[in-house]
Amino acid sequence: MTNAAAVPAPSSSHDRVGFSLNRVSVIGVNTLTEAIRQKVFIFLLLVGLVFIGSAIFFSQYSLGEQEQLKVIKDTCLGVISVISTLIAIVGTAQLLPSEVENRTIYTILAKPVRRFEFLLGKFYGSVLLLVLSMAAMCLMFGAVLWIKEQSMIRELSQTYLGETQAATEQANQQIEQVRIAVLDVNMVKAVLTDLVKAMLVASVTLLVSTFSTSLVFNVAVPFMIYMAGMLRGTAVEMWSSHRLAMAVLAIVPDFGLFSLADDINLGNLVPWAHVDQVIVYGLARMVVIVVAAHLIFSRREI
Amino acid sequence: MRIKILIAVLLLGAGLVLLPLENWVRAERTRLKYGGARVSIQLREAIGQNLAIALLAGMRGIVADFMWINGHDYWEKKEWLRQYRNIEVVAALQPQAVMFWDLGQWHMAWNIGYGVLSDPKNRTKAEGLKREHEWHEKAREFLERGIENIPNRYDLYFTMGWLYYEKLSKDCDQPPCHEAFCKAAEYFGKAASFPDAPQFVTRFYPRALEKCGQTRAAYEEWKRLWFLDHSKVAQSWNIIEREIRELENQLQIPNDERLFPPPLP
Amino acid sequence: MDAIRTEQLTKKYDLGWRKGRLLALDKLNLHVHEGEVYGLLGPNGSGKSTTLKLILDLISPTDGSAWLFDVPCNNVVSRLHVGFLPENPYFYRYLTGAETLVFYGKLCGMSGSSLKQRIEELLELVGLTRARDRQLSGYSKGMLQRIGLAQALIHDPKLLLLDEPTAGVDPIGSKDIRDLILRLKGMGKTVLLSSHLLAQVQDVCDRIGVLNLGQMILEGDVKSLISDQRRLSITVQDLPDDARARVEEAVRSAGASIVSVEHPQTTLESLFLEALKKDERGMGRHD
Repeated sequence: MTNAAAVPAPSSSHDRVGFSLNRVSVIGVNTLTEAIRQKVFIFLLLVGLVFIGSAIFFSQYSLGEQEQLKVIKDTCLGVISVISTLIAIVGTAQLLPSEVENRTIYTILAKPVRRFEFLLGKFYGSVLLLVLSMAAMCLMFGAVLWIKEQSMIRELSQTYLGETQAATEQANQQIEQVRIAVLDVNMVKAVLTDLVKAMLVASVTLLVSTFSTSLVFNVAVPFMIYMAGMLRGTAVEMWSSHRLAMAVLAIVPDFGLFSLADDINLGNLVPWAHVDQVIVYGLARMVVIVVAAHLIFSRREI
Repeated sequence: MRIKILIAVLLLGAGLVLLPLENWVRAERTRLKYGGARVSIQLREAIGQNLAIALLAGMRGIVADFMWINGHDYWEKKEWLRQYRNIEVVAALQPQAVMFWDLGQWHMAWNIGYGVLSDPKNRTKAEGLKREHEWHEKAREFLERGIENIPNRYDLYFTMGWLYYEKLSKDCDQPPCHEAFCKAAEYFGKAASFPDAPQFVTRFYPRALEKCGQTRAAYEEWKRLWFLDHSKVAQSWNIIEREIRELENQLQIPNDERLFPPPLP
Repeated sequence: MDAIRTEQLTKKYDLGWRKGRLLALDKLNLHVHEGEVYGLLGPNGSGKSTTLKLILDLISPTDGSAWLFDVPCNNVVSRLHVGFLPENPYFYRYLTGAETLVFYGKLCGMSGSSLKQRIEELLELVGLTRARDRQLSGYSKGMLQRIGLAQALIHDPKLLLLDEPTAGVDPIGSKDIRDLILRLKGMGKTVLLSSHLLAQVQDVCDRIGVLNLGQMILEGDVKSLISDQRRLSITVQDLPDDARARVEEAVRSAGASIVSVEHPQTTLESLFLEALKKDERGMGRHD
């Protein structure tokens, strides 16, 4: 021990402790730094990146340009959707249990920190994790598309250009179509709704983890809820005449609404207004679920 | 206990409140022709358990792509019926995909058609032809369903025109069958009427008209194309000029009415 | 004004269906005065940790109330002036010592150069300056306990709650922590520590309370509690045998009785510390 003089620390004697976004963000950033060091997160993200990267090699299946691009886009957007959902579940499931297990929750809640700030901070951390990992996957996806575009254009111009005028014209039109398909801004809509979906899945997982400490339970239940949510659209159509069935179904969010990638890749019209509706739906569901999580967590004995 | 009830009521209430928005989004989707065939039991049997699960996980596109790529095996093994069924399932999975209708009919009319035509098991040449015609018909019927699903794009009209022009025009007692070319012209005309149709599509319409026997109409159409704004439309103008010259000779258009009169002697 | 005050503080745990309830804390009336070091003693499961958790609002009481500096414990304001070191803390394993303190400092609304300065002071105070940039996953148990103490002190609280601060720590570390507690007392801090290692709290606590099965069974000033006014022990050095006989004679003639005569034994702890002090390579600590 050394002889440190007792220098008075900054006084914190204002006698009101309001809700502080600053504390939420401190806890969120800390949650993120913890999470990106988790092996399971790194593993999931690597699997996603490898799958997306390997889409470059699809050309071996003697498909045309449009086919190849469709396969690449379907696969990459599918991988982004699946991996982000898995990261949402696995990354969120252990947040509260590990805090209790490491007793860090005691030290944090013993400070002038509200429980809601803590819960929101944890959730913010998972959202940051999702944004970060999806950004990484999108970058990889962009690189794959760019490489593919370059090689297709090179191939098309070598094969057709200069042969006859009609062939040149057709090649130019095909190149133009490849360019349009690669630079399809609509894919942003698919990624955006996927992000909202992953956030909603994370909120469901957070809710489950406020009353359960079993990691298996915290992973399995949100996953089942997710699958049920994917099936909901079909179920609603089947049972629309049963009031009770509809009421029970209403609890589960309709995760099927967030799948826009297929339509976008088919060139179907997906107006922004429609995307906005889906996002509003997802965020509204999410807010309600986080409030429910707060109601449980604020009363939880730790 | 009270809190559990409160939370259940909260979640249920929010779900019910959001139900109209949900239904609205779904209705909007149907209106915009999103999604595809419902996951019926037949479809689930057709695609197998694992793919059905992927399908339920919202990865219709990937399932369709995967099955499509798998279909190449059937083609290589000359298992025509299996390949045909596979094409049908893929198209049912993503009926909004131009690619599957387009390439599906191409497989039937061109690849399978040639396959059965040159099948060594045919006892006579006529049997081979008969079998080929059957596949052309299958392709046409398949493509008709495609057009029903995607009526608002030029692609499948052009494909249908091409199917009539190249294949169905051989399916009569004494080819070339003019009727098939007239049908081709009808579809090419429809395809060319879409503002986003590529320029080569517009040139197939007068070509088919000519083969249908409507030479005069073909000539008028070529002329119409020629008078489009050359500075705005990226067209192969010299091809059109060549066609017009040829038809002006064929129709014996008086020199002073010709767009491209012959050089003075 | 008491630093800690509880009135009829009671906590029952549901054990599950048909198994009834466990009475973890039974009508505890605790008063910890400002500036004192209070030791909450008792065997495992006696209610020590429950008391601390109730005070920090980590669990809510079945009955009764608690106050910190007269602020009800269920008000977040009550935690402005309290620092807490949980039993066997782990913290975020991937953070370094300094990063850990930055995190807790920011949670307390501190930032910038004042936080930086505070962290340096605390690292020095708990003797972790050299280990500041090492990840906590590489810290020993004693080091974790000390960084835990530092985080509890980050916002300079008036009151410190230490749950088993010396449990699982080697004698040197334990001695360090006890020295630190005494220094904190010197700075005017109030300290409440819980322990089941009685010998270790003896030299630091002003007052102690003993809990058993959720009830306070003994409370008082340490010195008066453990001194036996009827008995007196005198320790002498180099006493010849004949002189000893005369001493015994004098005792008897005064009407008193000799209870025992023995060579005083040093405690194993002081023997251990003495031996390490003599080791020329220094005290056994790598930080």
